[in-house]
Amino acid sequence: MASIQITEATKSYGNTAVLHGIDLNIQDGEFIVLVGPSGCGKSTLLRMIAGLEEVTSGSISINERIINDLPPRDRDIAMVFQSYALYPHMSVEENISYAMTLRKSPKEKIASAVNGVSSILGLNGLLERRPKALSGGQRQRVAMGRAIVRDPQAFLFDEPLSNLDARLREQMRSEIRKLHRKLNATSIYVTHDQIEAMTMADRIVAMHDGYIQQVGTPLEIYDKPANVFVASFIGSPAMNFIKGTASASGDGYHLQTDQGHQIILPESSGLKDRMDVILGVRPEHLMIVEEGPASLPATVDLIEPMGLSTLVHVRVGQDSLKIFTLDRPDIAEGTQVHVSYIKEKLHMFDARTEMRLESPV
Amino acid sequence: MITQTPKWPVYVLGSVALVWIIPLVGIIAMSIRPEGEITSGWWTIEPFTFTLDAWREVWVNYPIGRAFLNSLAVASFATVLPVLFAPAAAYAFHYLKFPFRRILLLILVNAFVVPNQVVIIPLFKLWRETGLIDTYWSVVIPFVGLSFAWAVLLVKNFLSNFPRSLIDAAQVDGCGHLRTYFFIVLPNTITAMAAVGILQFMWTWNSLLLPMLFLRENATLPVMLSTISGAYEPNWDQRAVATIITSILPLVIFLFFQKYFSADGKNNSGSKG
Repeated sequence: MASIQITEATKSYGNTAVLHGIDLNIQDGEFIVLVGPSGCGKSTLLRMIAGLEEVTSGSISINERIINDLPPRDRDIAMVFQSYALYPHMSVEENISYAMTLRKSPKEKIASAVNGVSSILGLNGLLERRPKALSGGQRQRVAMGRAIVRDPQAFLFDEPLSNLDARLREQMRSEIRKLHRKLNATSIYVTHDQIEAMTMADRIVAMHDGYIQQVGTPLEIYDKPANVFVASFIGSPAMNFIKGTASASGDGYHLQTDQGHQIILPESSGLKDRMDVILGVRPEHLMIVEEGPASLPATVDLIEPMGLSTLVHVRVGQDSLKIFTLDRPDIAEGTQVHVSYIKEKLHMFDARTEMRLESPV
Repeated sequence: MITQTPKWPVYVLGSVALVWIIPLVGIIAMSIRPEGEITSGWWTIEPFTFTLDAWREVWVNYPIGRAFLNSLAVASFATVLPVLFAPAAAYAFHYLKFPFRRILLLILVNAFVVPNQVVIIPLFKLWRETGLIDTYWSVVIPFVGLSFAWAVLLVKNFLSNFPRSLIDAAQVDGCGHLRTYFFIVLPNTITAMAAVGILQFMWTWNSLLLPMLFLRENATLPVMLSTISGAYEPNWDQRAVATIITSILPLVIFLFFQKYFSADGKNNSGSKG
């Protein structure tokens, strides 16, 4: 098993820089999820760790040994690809054992390793088949098997579930997590699906435009997003944002929104009078209430019943907000309602830098 | 509601197909009738005399067997070499980074636009000086050289649809470039290799110009075919026989390998769509 250190790593294609000074320390046995929108550089970073892309500057080390110039085969890492990348002309058994065969492992050792892996992944009856004769889920398992059988220092996953249907994805998600618990191998998992990130990661690395935006446990990132990007990217349904200006009132501050409403702000050392602020509020921290002193008038735009919960889209002036509730509110689209919020759960960001203003939450 | 397929397209397509078959029927008819009966057109029915004289005469008067073997040797060498080496060059141009890659590719593509006729005289001088005239190599070398441009481009184009992740997976699994090429890329490039092989075999088998200039004793079938028609005797029946003999092997090869032409070139590595 291995710890991985990435220090000041950059990647450029000609004059186009795609990764800027990435610093990341991954502990032995940790499950790290790199998450971000398409083009944020997460897959490039993974491929650099695998040795499939050169590091333009900076360094990548495994167990404190710099591996920048090592070819992929000498890095002792295994990778699961989005397209599974199973060799079409080989059987499942040959696919799984290929890396061991290349390393000239004894036949008995290969056979027992393949047997072990196929029992863990339920591939026993499929070993003679070619990849084209397998379903998507089975191919995914074979790709996993091919990685596991080598007992590598680290596992790299490049969006391995994105070709599966929603149900299978959910099942595989928990299987990968259980497998990680069993093998306790250092794993780096790339996804653009923030639910995968939240449910699987020991730590999430949120990336955007080639920069790491925040590193933290899933709940840290959810509860204290470092900036507007992380706040908007993590969480489904996504966080609501309201723009306005902070005004000192009495002991604290309130937000004078661009729409002319007032929202009482939690305490924060970063707040200043007349500061432009972006207020973030998660849909589950908004509720529909009777008219009161701290409530905002709103119009119901859309109601999305989801069985367990309901998502109500409302408009406060020009601001569109989503409200998540476990109730089944008895209101119709177009109705005038009032919306309130949990003050302690509000997130504040400096509108100029889009960075989080710390509050005591 | 499922409607029945209309019948008229079958008749229309059948008639069009017939147009393509008529010359074949004509050649066969000419080869099995005396020359006197076909001078006014092979399609005349009266009189119709079945005879294998033309076949016998061609077999006795011309070294058909020898010419067949010469053609087979020339076409085989000229096919096997590009089939083996064009994918290797295509792999290198597509996946490897090396100095002057683009310029080398441009030079290679340049050979694509060089017609046979341009190289004939310099080659003739070269072969005469090196003593290669009337050896298989005098035609195999230019055949291979001239085919390399389109063969490399064809395979390179095929590789642009080849899943990059298979190469990546092979590298992570422990393959170097040679092993990746031989054990991962080649087995999945059979469609492209078959296409190169079939086209190259047909062209070299049917080629007349270079073998006629460079080969004497080792003449190929098309060269021999051209000698059958004399200045005063058209020998239509014997020419028909020679045409049939010349066409048989490419036809058999095409029938055997045609599935690779229609086969889906996409590699089913597991990804959807």
